[in-house]
Amino acid sequence: MFKYVFAGIIMILFASCSNQLYAQQKYEKESRLKENETPDQALDFIDSLEVGSRIRWYLEEGLERTSIEAKFKLNNQKHSIEFDTVGNLEDIEIQMKWRELQKPLRDSISFYLGEDCEKFKIRKVQIQYSGDRSILLTKIKTGESTDSYIVRYEIVVKCVNTKNVSLFEYLFSNTGKKLAISQIVFKNSSNLEY
Amino acid sequence: MNTEKRFLFTLCLCLFFSYKTSAQSTYQVGGLPSINLNYKLKNDWSSNFKIESRQLLQRGMFNSDSNRNYEYILTDFSLITAKKVGLNSRISGGYLLRFRDGNAIHRLIQQFAVTQILPRFRLAHRVVTDQTFLPAEATEYRLRYRLATEIPLNGQSADPKEFYLKISNEYLNSIQNSDYDLEIRFVPLLGYAISEKHKIEFGLDYRVNSFLDQYARHSFWTSMNWFIEI
Repeated sequence: MFKYVFAGIIMILFASCSNQLYAQQKYEKESRLKENETPDQALDFIDSLEVGSRIRWYLEEGLERTSIEAKFKLNNQKHSIEFDTVGNLEDIEIQMKWRELQKPLRDSISFYLGEDCEKFKIRKVQIQYSGDRSILLTKIKTGESTDSYIVRYEIVVKCVNTKNVSLFEYLFSNTGKKLAISQIVFKNSSNLEY
Repeated sequence: MNTEKRFLFTLCLCLFFSYKTSAQSTYQVGGLPSINLNYKLKNDWSSNFKIESRQLLQRGMFNSDSNRNYEYILTDFSLITAKKVGLNSRISGGYLLRFRDGNAIHRLIQQFAVTQILPRFRLAHRVVTDQTFLPAEATEYRLRYRLATEIPLNGQSADPKEFYLKISNEYLNSIQNSDYDLEIRFVPLLGYAISEKHKIEFGLDYRVNSFLDQYARHSFWTSMNWFIEI
């Protein structure tokens, strides 16, 4: 008898959800891109960096915007360069260690994090450069420092409070002022747990 | 030992046991469809309701005659309630009701699972203890550990309308009436994320047990899973 019950439930579930499958909204989707699918402007910028290591291209589709991202290692540091869909440079992010930030900056960031979280743990730190394309190209290639670009810090933090524990992405200015905060929502993992 | 090495080790172990005892060992082949309904509750609580059925298509001994008759074996209904206790970890408990040969079998389940989010894939560790209450038999106690990974075939995570591989490896220690047995499972599945709320998986669920002091018993189930988030 139970095999018929089981078969019946499967059929009902298929019938009940078939209409809504295509009505689901996409939130953020990241998919691989081939090099020949990327805009020429973005390719030219990356070529100019003479990376030398493998470059992975991604298309990031969100509700509000779509962007193209190149990820690679340069000088033993993880780089992530984001472009818009026609290849205009948006920002450059380079992963670094928390202790590599200057102490006053660390103190300021810690102050803000301490206000939001009872306990926190820094999971990832990225320095973010945005500004003129040619100035940033020189900056990345030579390390030359000028004031004509914007420096920010993107910090991923595990934030523990009495009732919950969550992961947040903070954006700080170069003086350690809090600019933005967003909660990182994990994809459900029920298919890995049950 | 990294994930790939662990899976290779298990595969070699399984092949070794199947080679060692293949002449006398038994096998069964069939289907194992399941539906998982997952429901999010308030305050980091969630619940999982699962229906799984087992159907046998063929059984026999290696290098001997086989029986190819279809046979319905069992259906499991389980309800597990979980509480998030860390960023990516959950502790849970539940109850499984199994109908087999006209009998109802009851099982209590306690589980802890933690999922690691790595740059290219997700890795989940699961430890389960369970107690199965069988009619006219002693209670069976089990301790299980499973390592499962989800590897997206496009991008860095399995997004809607994308395929992924799910590979899991589980070790089940069981004791009943002071008889100990170890079962090893190796389950490679191809998955497809239909949407944020629906995932389907298809592949092999290979199990080997009774190899410690008897002839090995191999099971090759065609696994078909459907995960629904409500």
